[in-house]
Amino acid sequence: MSDSIAAQKLSASFKDPDGFLFKSNNILYRQINTSYKDNYDCLISSGLYENLAQNNLLISHDEEQIPSFNPEILYKIIRPEIINFISYPYEWCFSQLKDAALLTLKIQKESLGKGMSLKDCSAFNVQFKNGKPIFIDSLSFEKYKKGQPWVAYRQFCQHFLAPLALMSYTDVRLNSLFKQFIDGVPLDLAAKLLPFKARFNFSLLTHIYLHADAQKHFSIKSKKQSNSQVSDFSLLGIIDSLESSIKSLKLKTNRSHWTDYYSETNYSPEAFKQKKKVVTRYLEKSNSKMIWDLGANTGVFSEIASQDKREVVSFEVDPIVVEKNYNDCKKDKKENILPLLMDLTNPSSAIGFQSNERLSLIERGPADTALALALIHHLAISNNLPFDRIAQFLSEICDTLIIEFIPKTDSQVQRLLQSRKDIFINYNQNTFEKEFKKFFTVGNTQQISESQRILYLMHKK
Amino acid sequence: MLKYLMFQLIILIIILLLSDGLAKPAYAYLDPGTGSYIFQVLIAFMLGGIFAIKLFWRQILLFFKNLFSKTQKKSEHES
Repeated sequence: MSDSIAAQKLSASFKDPDGFLFKSNNILYRQINTSYKDNYDCLISSGLYENLAQNNLLISHDEEQIPSFNPEILYKIIRPEIINFISYPYEWCFSQLKDAALLTLKIQKESLGKGMSLKDCSAFNVQFKNGKPIFIDSLSFEKYKKGQPWVAYRQFCQHFLAPLALMSYTDVRLNSLFKQFIDGVPLDLAAKLLPFKARFNFSLLTHIYLHADAQKHFSIKSKKQSNSQVSDFSLLGIIDSLESSIKSLKLKTNRSHWTDYYSETNYSPEAFKQKKKVVTRYLEKSNSKMIWDLGANTGVFSEIASQDKREVVSFEVDPIVVEKNYNDCKKDKKENILPLLMDLTNPSSAIGFQSNERLSLIERGPADTALALALIHHLAISNNLPFDRIAQFLSEICDTLIIEFIPKTDSQVQRLLQSRKDIFINYNQNTFEKEFKKFFTVGNTQQISESQRILYLMHKK
Repeated sequence: MLKYLMFQLIILIIILLLSDGLAKPAYAYLDPGTGSYIFQVLIAFMLGGIFAIKLFWRQILLFFKNLFSKTQKKSEHES
């Protein structure tokens, strides 16, 4: 293959010597190298792949015959099923990470039953599809050698157990540690951040505190590993212990003020009904497949947007609200809504080696349509962002924009201004329209009755 | 078996309490993988034992559950 095609190799999989992801004609493929031949054949012939793919635990794929990047090491090329929106653990709420952890352990148990084991269980190998976590790395399986300990045990503790324990015992916001520690939270750090009472949880005492201590102890003392054997049953014991530990972790939810947001809005029931109608009409006009709901709160408008089989990513800054949205979606089987944690004033940036292992939010767009409802005053007044910069950012992440302008006289804006000096002389409808028209053309406008708010339908220039 | 597990558990707790290295930062350069590997071998027997007890306990519960439901069905049938 030519060098120009080689440039389409994806940076997310460059560490794996057994294969890599690439795009050809905008279709995603995975090359399997000859070094992985035995393991891949075992994955297929043991029936493990079929079992996992049929139960939507592992991404399904088709084998394809297309030219290779490196024919000398090529074994096979597969075309995996597409994930509509790639998300990362630092964007997940507690229950999303917990479900991803339980999925990983379930796959490990199934694998052991078929004579294989996960050699890699990074949380980044899990994505969300139809509202459920799914394992996406078909090259993470290896033949299980009898007596061998689980090579991914440390990674599991760092990627799942430690962040979940920290979110449960210390603070729900600590999954943001994933942004700094791309290979999971170091166990010595987790042990330091967890409260003293966490030592009385036997699983955490074992898998975090003593584990961290052992890492430190054995990193400076050499010990022969050749005779180290773990029986199959003991291995299942370790997995069962991790599973019980993960299941027992709960999130202590202090009610966030955002969860009461809809009961605290200044909309009359009639005005709120009209807002829903106008948004529905705009969405129908936009004819979109992928919608990003920015500042989605508990997802009332995400649900409206998800009608007609549209895919919706529901972004919200408050982890407790994302938790509620995710659990509601699970309960009500709203499979085409993906709730995610996102601070729009500091959206996910590209991270990892060469700053391109994990994509920024902007790189994962643009969405066909973005909803920015009851959002502009939080960006402009609470966070001092000028209209031109907000408009520029929104034009980078969507082709069509449904945005609500909330004037300064609105009681919600007045509430934001109560505790601060009003330095926002440019916060008015004229400046808003002038700045947004630099990046968008305005298709429709609609004043919401019994309120001072205006809904705009805009298209990127 | 249970005695041995308790012994292992007590040893682990003593190590934890006496350890001055716990939660001290490892910073960089050190490979945590080796420690994790050896640690897993050390705890494997104990966690395997706990798993065995758990399975055994489930069997006992299941036995009594079945026994109870059989007795209940029998008495319902007789009445």
